[in-house]
Amino acid sequence: MIQPLHLPGALLLTTQLTHLAPVDIAILLLYFAMVIFIGFYVKGSTNTSEEFFLAGREMSAWIAGLSFVSANLGSLELMGWAGAAYQYGILAAHWYWIGAIPAMLFLGIVMMPFYYISKTHSVPGYLQLRFGEGARAVSAVSFAFMTVLMSGVNMYSMALVMKVVLGWDINFSIWVGAVTVAIYVMLGGLRSAIINEVLQFVLIWAGAALIPILGLIEAGGWANLKVQMIARVGDPSYMHMWSTLGSFSGNPMGVHWTGIVFGLGFVISFGYWTTDFLVVQRVLSANNLRAAQFAPIIGAAFKMFVPFFVIVPGLLALVLLKDGSGHIMQLYPDGSDQVLHHGMHSFNEVLPLMMVRYLGPGLLGLGITALVAGFMSGMAGNVSAFSTVWTYDLYGAYINKKASDSHYVSMGRWCTIIGMLISIGTAYLVMGAASIMDYVQELFSFFIAPLFGTVILGMLWKRATKAGGFWGLLCGTASSVGMWLMVLHDKTNIRFMILQPHASADTIDRVQAMAANLYRALWSWVVCVIVTIVVSYLTKPMPEEALKGLVYGSTIIPDDGSTKVYQKPIFWAIVVATVLFILNLWLW
Amino acid sequence: MTHPAIDPSTEQSLSIWFFVGVLMLSCGVLIFGQGIYEFSHPAVAVAAGELPANVLAKYHGAFWWGLAMTLFGGFYTVAFRPGKG
Repeated sequence: MIQPLHLPGALLLTTQLTHLAPVDIAILLLYFAMVIFIGFYVKGSTNTSEEFFLAGREMSAWIAGLSFVSANLGSLELMGWAGAAYQYGILAAHWYWIGAIPAMLFLGIVMMPFYYISKTHSVPGYLQLRFGEGARAVSAVSFAFMTVLMSGVNMYSMALVMKVVLGWDINFSIWVGAVTVAIYVMLGGLRSAIINEVLQFVLIWAGAALIPILGLIEAGGWANLKVQMIARVGDPSYMHMWSTLGSFSGNPMGVHWTGIVFGLGFVISFGYWTTDFLVVQRVLSANNLRAAQFAPIIGAAFKMFVPFFVIVPGLLALVLLKDGSGHIMQLYPDGSDQVLHHGMHSFNEVLPLMMVRYLGPGLLGLGITALVAGFMSGMAGNVSAFSTVWTYDLYGAYINKKASDSHYVSMGRWCTIIGMLISIGTAYLVMGAASIMDYVQELFSFFIAPLFGTVILGMLWKRATKAGGFWGLLCGTASSVGMWLMVLHDKTNIRFMILQPHASADTIDRVQAMAANLYRALWSWVVCVIVTIVVSYLTKPMPEEALKGLVYGSTIIPDDGSTKVYQKPIFWAIVVATVLFILNLWLW
Repeated sequence: MTHPAIDPSTEQSLSIWFFVGVLMLSCGVLIFGQGIYEFSHPAVAVAAGELPANVLAKYHGAFWWGLAMTLFGGFYTVAFRPGKG
């Protein structure tokens, strides 16, 4: 997902939720055996750098598309957003709909041709072609640094969840997860990671879809759920997507529609889905331009239905989750007194709690395996993206420019091991100080919005110059860090970010961290764009020849071979957009 | 946006969809078996710690879900088996 999530250090204090039956353990072992087998199996066909880092660019639209959406469907996100739905109601679905779908469609229709035609192997690689070494260096260093840290966060989160749900030892989970992922990514590179992401995607649907189905049966259907929800929380805004966004104080999240539309729907979402190499790498593995354009559209179609097994369980938990005495269970924020000192459960435990409520032996094993697969695929995605960016954009660009292809493949394999070791180190660091996890996730958001500003101007505006791109990216990132520090220093400074300098203390209190991030992203993007435009006009334009294949207006987009209207990517993009519109209208 | 009949994504003889099929089929058979077992040994709403668990056991989710997964996995395993096409 595209928003920092705060999995709880406090989870450590709660008791083990359940235990696995032999059939559950058999399912889990089956998954591990298959994952390792796939690593060894595809090793034979990952001999060149193109095969290792880009899966040979021979994936079909369906596989690239499922992998694209799956790379983002980590367990950290699933659990965090189910918790967010419990906390904020159906508003959390914005992060799956307006916060993802338009950007994915835009990537497929508008941006993919430039990524694909330029034959770049990474997003920093595109920046190098368009804006030169400076922009690539800033982007590659920040991305490589953040991906290994994120992999460590995933690893620690998995270990923590396994401890809470099943009582497993944290060290055991960290090492088993890390060694398994290291084996299959080192052996099979991106190809292996993609195959496992497709498996994970299917597992998550199979393992999680039964929870909302059984939950809705118990609630007596969607209409009854709404009635019970209003009776439970006394606030109809929990079940509305848009009608309560007219003011900061009218909804549980403390967000205004401008933040959702411009901050989330435009800047954060487009930044994440179109420039984060972790997801874009999956699409670059497509076997032709048409497949590369279709992949994000297929991903968007599936993404649209993810709220069914993430957001709906969070909503159901509000009215159905009961304790041993039959009373509705109240969940609390992480780090709250109730969680820390009274053994109560936190928001982020919603999904495991619902699993325990509805899934018996066998099905519980499937659900747990889906969670484990989600965590491992999160690690694999980060580590494979790290090894690509390190090998192509740092090692190959600045340290050893003339090595043989096989040398770069070896470097990629070693990078996987080293990246995994750094991740393990990060996991133990986070274990020592859980607040580091929050900071790591915040750091990730610093780079996304400005990077989108740089890439989109690079693709759509011929006048953007190398100096403009570099300084825009640098200033945008610096402004994002500056705003974050400003709010960290004094929370009331949020009033400047939401353009309400005279906002009341109550309004400021209602603006949650999530809402603040939307505005921080929006302003850092604006800074990036303004600086890029100003510096570009002050510097010499780039020659037309240097822009071929990189910029709209200087690039001839090849015919994709579609002869009928339903074969065209744009047709299916319109279909997906229409369904999205209808869903939003239904839940207005 | 048609589903490819033949997976062009790997040069190996085993398709990604075959792996999907085998995993779903194996898990489905295990869960389906558990579901059948529960007809003769009904799963009660056992408590996990203080929490009510498996509260809708009467609907035999393991049986039906296991059956669906077995059929889905079986179809993919056969349709994308090595050497086909």
